[in-house]
Amino acid sequence: MIENLLLGLSTAFTPMNLLWCFIGVLLGTIIGLLPGMGSSTGVAILIPLTLTVEPVTALIMLAGIYYGAQYGGTITSVLLSTPGEAATVVTTLDGYQMARRGRAGAALAIAAIGSFFAAIVSLLLLAGLAPPFAELALRFGPQENLAVMVLALVTMVAFSGQSRTRAAAMATVGVLLACVGVDAGTGEARYTFGNINLLSGIPYIEVVIGLFAVGEVLHQIRVGMAKPIRAGFRDLMIRRQDVRDSAGAIGRGSLLGFALGCLPGAGTTLASFIAYGVEKRVSKNSKQFGRGAIQGVAAPESANNAAANANFIPTLTLGIPGGATTAVLLGALTVYGLQPGPLLFAEEPDLVWGLLVSFFIGNVILLVLNLPLAPVFAQLLRIPYGYLYPIILFTSFVGAYAIDNNFFSVWVVFVFGVIGYGMKRFDLPMAPLVVGVVVGALFEKALVQTSAIEDGNLLMIFTRPIAVTILALAVLLMIGPALMRRARALLGPTRPREDREDEETHV
Amino acid sequence: MRALSIARTGLAAMCAVSLALGAAGCGASGSDEEIAAAAPAPTGDVTMVVPFGAGGGSDIAGRAMADGLVSSTPRLNINVDNRDGGAGAVGYSYFLAKAGSPNYLLATETSLISLPLSQDVEFSHRSFTPVVKIGEDYTLLVARKDSPMDTCAEAVRQSRTRRVLAGISGAAGPDNIVFSLLERRTGAELDRVPYESGSETLAGLLGGQVDLASLNPSEVAEQLEAGDLKALCVFGDQRYDYPELAGIPTAREQGIDVSFAQFRGAIAPGNVHPKAAKFWVRAARRYIDSRAYRDYIRSEYLQPKVAFGKDFAQYLRANEALVAEVLHK
Repeated sequence: MIENLLLGLSTAFTPMNLLWCFIGVLLGTIIGLLPGMGSSTGVAILIPLTLTVEPVTALIMLAGIYYGAQYGGTITSVLLSTPGEAATVVTTLDGYQMARRGRAGAALAIAAIGSFFAAIVSLLLLAGLAPPFAELALRFGPQENLAVMVLALVTMVAFSGQSRTRAAAMATVGVLLACVGVDAGTGEARYTFGNINLLSGIPYIEVVIGLFAVGEVLHQIRVGMAKPIRAGFRDLMIRRQDVRDSAGAIGRGSLLGFALGCLPGAGTTLASFIAYGVEKRVSKNSKQFGRGAIQGVAAPESANNAAANANFIPTLTLGIPGGATTAVLLGALTVYGLQPGPLLFAEEPDLVWGLLVSFFIGNVILLVLNLPLAPVFAQLLRIPYGYLYPIILFTSFVGAYAIDNNFFSVWVVFVFGVIGYGMKRFDLPMAPLVVGVVVGALFEKALVQTSAIEDGNLLMIFTRPIAVTILALAVLLMIGPALMRRARALLGPTRPREDREDEETHV
Repeated sequence: MRALSIARTGLAAMCAVSLALGAAGCGASGSDEEIAAAAPAPTGDVTMVVPFGAGGGSDIAGRAMADGLVSSTPRLNINVDNRDGGAGAVGYSYFLAKAGSPNYLLATETSLISLPLSQDVEFSHRSFTPVVKIGEDYTLLVARKDSPMDTCAEAVRQSRTRRVLAGISGAAGPDNIVFSLLERRTGAELDRVPYESGSETLAGLLGGQVDLASLNPSEVAEQLEAGDLKALCVFGDQRYDYPELAGIPTAREQGIDVSFAQFRGAIAPGNVHPKAAKFWVRAARRYIDSRAYRDYIRSEYLQPKVAFGKDFAQYLRANEALVAEVLHK
């Protein structure tokens, strides 16, 4: 573990990589801050920017955008009550209330400190856990992969932001979209209508750009601009007492976030919601939750950062995205000609460890940037949307073209932009669709291979212990919360009020 | 490597956009194609289309040819453009639309023949102008070292009594042709498990998911040397000359009449100016005589069976007849 970290340090500490790491986290903060831009969008439209540099440098920057956006998203959540990033939605509950009481600075500072602590904890956990995970993943055959895909889809649905039915519907649409292209089993072209561009399937980076960037912008134009609460430098002072009060929340949030982030398909949003829910239950200060409790900011902010890092475990070791953003990063890996999967750790150790160590460096930079500069970043919120949105649209379309130098990509972005607007309008979640598209293709391949190996008898999957364990976990995730509720109801209505709240945060 | 070529054209795209916006220009890049359409020789940059992803055998071949042609022909510049997808269909179909242009080449291989026969695509080898066949490649039938099969004959025998799984890369690719030939000629029965690439097939074989795979020597040389895999036979007319492969018997020696060579080479788009076709054949001849060519052939364990222009076209016709026999059951 030590030599791995040293190897990572030697890779990450080159001037070039440090510079790109800085650019990544800075851009990430800004992207997280801008309404209508999330980390998935940011990573997707900025991939072309990284095509000239080494893969490891590119990944360091793109990952920087990912966790940098978790910081940036906090700023809008606190000052605007408009999360710039889905993972910071729950921060609005207490963060905005703190800001209204003139404690915006304390909220932003504790978020930065919590995120930083979480990053350190999760880096150590990553360094310790990723190699055994990769080792385990080496033994994965199509049967195990099939089980993991099922788990990814179930996680996505079970913990989606709003209704499970909508999430399940969107994940299904995603899987169906993944059917376009050459069939893995027979080599026949499906749903391509004679269009050669569709032979390789619907390109998902373009789908992400369309849904998240173009769709969001269209949506924001309709919604209009919100006025931010001013935060001055003076407000930034955080009391020692605040840190002491939040220590427990940060610790719990980090560990919980990491554990949940390891699940394929979980993303960071889930981690922030659950951490908030748990903290509300265990905190001594639970009455203040929703009215500006500092723990209500510290816990989810630590959790989303820890989860962002932990997401790289399924992404790098299994080649299965941890969430929408890592799905895009997965696409980036293949653009650079790298094959994500267990062999990546053996074949590209400097890339993997350089990337992981860069998380640490990036978070140090973010802490330094965010503690004093949060009010400066907040000024960006005053850019009129009239300037902002054309820039986002321009970058989206040019970026899409540059990925493959193919005008078809631009059409995909356009079509999915319109679809994304419609989905926003009808409150349909986008992340399950994206994960569905990515996982769908992998799912089908695993299904075809398993079927071929087991001579068409898919029940044979139950003879594989690892696959059974993964499937059992999926079942547990699906019915667990419902069972808990049922069990509690049976045991008697001891704390009916809290039950209801629990449900609220779980959705 | 692919990244670089993309970035270059990506920048060109950005420039084009900024030009449109009235910003400072950065060199004309848009109108090459129209000028070039009927020209007798390439003008400006040439694009070598590789219909497969970066890192695979086609990609290596495409880049080797691009480098070799550039260094043996003055004032020539070639960019490699990976257009993968649809087991090669995307790249070939893209190339089809470049008819008449002397500014494009494509790194071709056996899917030029197998795709039109197995899939609903608009091209066949007749749609293009054959330039050069740089070599042939016989695949090896390989198994894990602890496999109960030691020869191809034994694999065939065992497949009649128990289930034998064969990993293939791409459901309709050349691997499938080899196994289909084996089945037709011997009555063997092999269940196919489709993978996405040669390296994935190799991982599946090493991981014990399948029993057999038909892979190029360059793909398995390392594992053969390490002793993780053993080669049962080579599907060629004769044994390989390379010392590390010379010990592998041909299928014929084991009484199995299966030989299937896969080719690699370069083609130009259809309907190019006759002078352009001549230009490329001449450039290819210079490349074949170069040291870079010999190094490439050796590093990839290819057989240096070369054919130019019309001879390559004739080879393609014969190859098509053989593949058609297998694929049209």
